[in-house]
Amino acid sequence: MTAVTHYFKNVVDSVKTTLIGLGITGKYLLQKPITVQYPDERLPIPNRYRGIHYLEQEKCIDCLACARACPIDCIEMDAVRHGKELEWISFTLDYQKCMFCELCVYPCPKDCIHMGTEFAFVSYDRSEFVHDLLSYRGMARDAKVRMVEAEKKKKAKEEAKKAKEGAQAAVVAEAADDEGEEASSEDA
Amino acid sequence: MLTFDPAIGFSSAVLAVQSAESGLKDGFGTNAIQDFLVGVKPEYVPAWAVPLTAIGIAIGIVLAIVSVLAMFSTWLERKVSGHIQCRFGPMRVGWHGWLQPLADGVKLLLKEDMIPLGADRTLYVIAPALVLASLLGAMAAFPLTETFYFANFGLGIFMILALTSTTTIGVVMAGWSSNSKWSLYGAMREAAQVVAYEIPLGISLLVPIMVAGSFNLIEVSQGQGGGYGILNWNIWPWVNPFMLPAFVLFFVAILAETKRAPFDLPEAESELVAGFMTEYSGIRWSFFFMEEYAAMFLYCVVGSFFFFGGFESPVTSLAESVGGTNSLLHQLGAASTIVLKGFAGVFLMMWLRWTLPRVRIDQVMTMGYKYLTPLALVCVLGAGLWEAFIAPHLWWRS
Repeated sequence: MTAVTHYFKNVVDSVKTTLIGLGITGKYLLQKPITVQYPDERLPIPNRYRGIHYLEQEKCIDCLACARACPIDCIEMDAVRHGKELEWISFTLDYQKCMFCELCVYPCPKDCIHMGTEFAFVSYDRSEFVHDLLSYRGMARDAKVRMVEAEKKKKAKEEAKKAKEGAQAAVVAEAADDEGEEASSEDA
Repeated sequence: MLTFDPAIGFSSAVLAVQSAESGLKDGFGTNAIQDFLVGVKPEYVPAWAVPLTAIGIAIGIVLAIVSVLAMFSTWLERKVSGHIQCRFGPMRVGWHGWLQPLADGVKLLLKEDMIPLGADRTLYVIAPALVLASLLGAMAAFPLTETFYFANFGLGIFMILALTSTTTIGVVMAGWSSNSKWSLYGAMREAAQVVAYEIPLGISLLVPIMVAGSFNLIEVSQGQGGGYGILNWNIWPWVNPFMLPAFVLFFVAILAETKRAPFDLPEAESELVAGFMTEYSGIRWSFFFMEEYAAMFLYCVVGSFFFFGGFESPVTSLAESVGGTNSLLHQLGAASTIVLKGFAGVFLMMWLRWTLPRVRIDQVMTMGYKYLTPLALVCVLGAGLWEAFIAPHLWWRS
């Protein structure tokens, strides 16, 4: 008798458990996918993520503190000093060596080197992994966009200012011309 | 509408046996393609070229239907599996990746066609063609509407079961000729599995056959039409209470027949690399793939003919009442109904694939011989008694 009940219990169990399983997978089927279409949309990256470095080159004073702190000597920089002005030649970081330890960030006296959120870089050639950090390589995409926009706005403002000043100058010049004419007429 | 000569079938021996045994539903004179070709034939073309051309055109049509179905099924499979795992599946080629199968097809055509050094070349080359050809032959017996079909036999379901089980020979040939242990294991498992599951498959189909009193797909479908619409379908317990268990047995059996998970032991990728198709690549491999998906669709269509009303659905009745019997609208309604029902079954098979883990080979055998076969016999016995003693007294069955 036990064998018979066991037999029918097996049948009932298999049907029941299959239905339960179908319910679970069906729930997932209707759920929204949690993956994103990567190159088009990206998941938010945490602020303290250690990606490609981002250098604020206006702040940097060429003190070599980060290069000295680097345990594998992958940072190299070169600049020429003209009095107080710095003329940058190169600031390179070899990403074949870099282990993204963030030790270069802490000693910086001007707080100008940071770890960014960009991480994807591929190349057909090893030499291309030596990145020049000048020109804001490694800055987060949205930050870069903001910076470019701010610069554009700044330029536009300056140009507007210049145009205004030019117009004023022209007015002043005209006035001077008028005065000159008057003076000449008086002379006549 | 188009009705085609059964002589354009794909295996003349089978056709000869069929016509001798069962008698053909339509004679040999209803071949629309052949009639059309006779009409447009120029003088210098010999008469014997006409039936050959007609056969070629018919094979082309069936091949096109099978490839489109297989392509759509692969796309559906990838989307369903993706969404069950909370991802998207293919998204890049076309809208939600609907052109992905086309891209895959181009890739497979361009791939190198390799034959292993130790393989039995003749068998190795024939095997995928045999697998696909037997399935194409079975597809010829699939009526798209009540008047559009390629071969309509009194024993239509027998032809489908016979030809689809022939694919096993191709699979065993592929496994043997590959000269690889994985392939041979896969082929042996396939043989064992098909032998075990053909029995409950055939027996469980006897229940709706007894209710309909016919082996012919179209007649079984017509038997489920009538005044009560959807309530006339065979699956309901008031038609025959043994129909639902018979359908469950049938569905489990077709899962095993089409080598789908949880019975995908012949190609068990985690144990046997890819089973019997380990050594195949490129277009030959895609023949096996096409066969699997087309077989899934064909079995699901058979299931919907025998259990879920066939052409009968509210859509078909509406189309018939609007356009008239056998009008183009009615045909479209019937064809879309049966294709949708088929894909509903295919979807259920995919859903099951991503729900259940693969079973062991001894569990497969236990299930086939100890559970499905006796339960199917009980169903047949019960359904027969019901049909003999109770159904004649039910007012809705008369």
